[in-house]
Amino acid sequence: MYRGLSIEKLHELLVNKKVTPLELTKEAIELAKKDSNNAFEYIMESEALAIAESLKEPEVNNPLWGIPFVIKDNMSTKDVPTTGSSNILRGYVPVFDATVVAKLKEAHAVPIGKSTLDELAMGGTGTSGHLGTTYNPFDRSHTRLVGGSSCGSAAVTADGIVPFALGSDTGDSTRKPASYAGLVGFKPTWGRISRYGLFPFAPSLDTVGIFTRSVKDCAYVLNATAGRDEKDMTSSVVPVHDYVKDIEKFDKKRKIAVIQEILDTITDKDIKKAFLDNINKLKESGFTVEFVHMDTKMLASLFATYFVISCAEATSNNANLDGIKFGPLSKGDTYEEVMKNARTKGFGELIKRRFIIGSFALMKENKEELFVRAQRNRRAVVDKLNEIYKEYDFIYALAAPSIAPKIGESSDRLSDEYLIADNHLVLGNFAGLPSLTLPLGLKDNMPFGVNVMGKAFDEVGVFQLSYEIEKITGLKDLVAKGEQK
Amino acid sequence: MKEYNIEVLKDAANRLLLDMSESEYQTLLSEFDIVTKQMKAIGDNSELDKIEPMVFPFEIYTSELREDEAKEPLTREEALRNSPRKVGGQIKLPKVVQ
Repeated sequence: MYRGLSIEKLHELLVNKKVTPLELTKEAIELAKKDSNNAFEYIMESEALAIAESLKEPEVNNPLWGIPFVIKDNMSTKDVPTTGSSNILRGYVPVFDATVVAKLKEAHAVPIGKSTLDELAMGGTGTSGHLGTTYNPFDRSHTRLVGGSSCGSAAVTADGIVPFALGSDTGDSTRKPASYAGLVGFKPTWGRISRYGLFPFAPSLDTVGIFTRSVKDCAYVLNATAGRDEKDMTSSVVPVHDYVKDIEKFDKKRKIAVIQEILDTITDKDIKKAFLDNINKLKESGFTVEFVHMDTKMLASLFATYFVISCAEATSNNANLDGIKFGPLSKGDTYEEVMKNARTKGFGELIKRRFIIGSFALMKENKEELFVRAQRNRRAVVDKLNEIYKEYDFIYALAAPSIAPKIGESSDRLSDEYLIADNHLVLGNFAGLPSLTLPLGLKDNMPFGVNVMGKAFDEVGVFQLSYEIEKITGLKDLVAKGEQK
Repeated sequence: MKEYNIEVLKDAANRLLLDMSESEYQTLLSEFDIVTKQMKAIGDNSELDKIEPMVFPFEIYTSELREDEAKEPLTREEALRNSPRKVGGQIKLPKVVQ
């Protein structure tokens, strides 16, 4: 009955007492139980009902009051199992809430479940978590991926079970699945939302992410979650804004850049045409959109740079997963044996390979040539981006070169289309910039999206421009059609 | 760069206190071939030697002092709650001195 409604709409209904938080929560839990996309790690039925039941008097000025939401399972939730979709954390029950979760609970939003992910957020397909593949709700025949690593959060939002969900984003783990699932997927500036309680993957790149079905809804969620947290030393002291207040006041003097070389690597003519048509519409409406250039070789180096840095950082960050402080019991005659058995059995094959690549990159003989060189290249890329940002306020691009891939489909990992068009969103992580994906169109009934990337801490601008683009495309509040199986 | 082969990869795995099946090492070896080719894009740029490595996107300084307030730390029960092996209020490990 309330499935697929926005935060804004639900807030209106709640304030006018047309529905209660308990009714909304019960419906969301029923839908979650029927989920056929393999999106949930854990449904927080008793916890959510207790919270919803305690919410009696609507808070007129608090748009998140009584709104059900879902949390990616790499965020700590007090007294609620949190596995990161890894067997090494099977049975782990945190004793504290991640700050972002605590803030949403303080705002009286109602967490109804934990969503699955690529194991420990390492992966972009939504297939490597310990529950297996998560399906794209826009394809009820279950032949297409929803993308990862925030696959479960993307699936539940696209399916209309909740109006928003938390993800995380290290390379594009929120923004890429958003493109495949017709959603708004947002990563804030690095440091804008506290990461306390988010399992670290590669902390120099990681941010919390937000999924919604409209730009304005996303701004509401950022309003409740942004800000300095003394528990996270990398959270920023830069003042927080009201991201909703001036969302309709985009200043058309602000300039938008499109990187020609990224567009050039996209081979899907329909998607490319939709993007160029959209640029023309923006220009006709008085926006300044211009093409700029980046060296193709530099763009082709993004993926390798990301891969080396993230694997190396992940290697050390996951050293605490040793089967001793938490995780299932493992046998061994020495503590090293206990750890080795726990880690060998507990980690999936894909992330073990990534850890080994990270370990190789950090070996004394390789560190300068691999890890440090990748870090140097990261700075070269960011310097180039900053050059563009001297003259422009936003970089605008197709979020992905295709609609959601079919399960088992593989791409040529040495092609420019893969290296550039499929991986350029990592620019936002390299430079720590706010970056938002929103739907641009549909092809074969599957959505595809565009991405707006702004200057550091210019979340206001990113939301304003995205709001304008959303008005042009008319694509908001998209919900996957068809009933759940 | 150190040459990579199965033995080197096994050494890297061992340093991380984990192991894989033989077929997984073969998969990893072919993955290395791809990653090495991808890395070539970075290796070719001689200008990079002059550039400082970037460790974080930008500096965030935490310089204020916190108030000297007593706070409740984790209780012993909470700290031990998730450990699979504990005894007498402590985490139990195999004997170090045999």
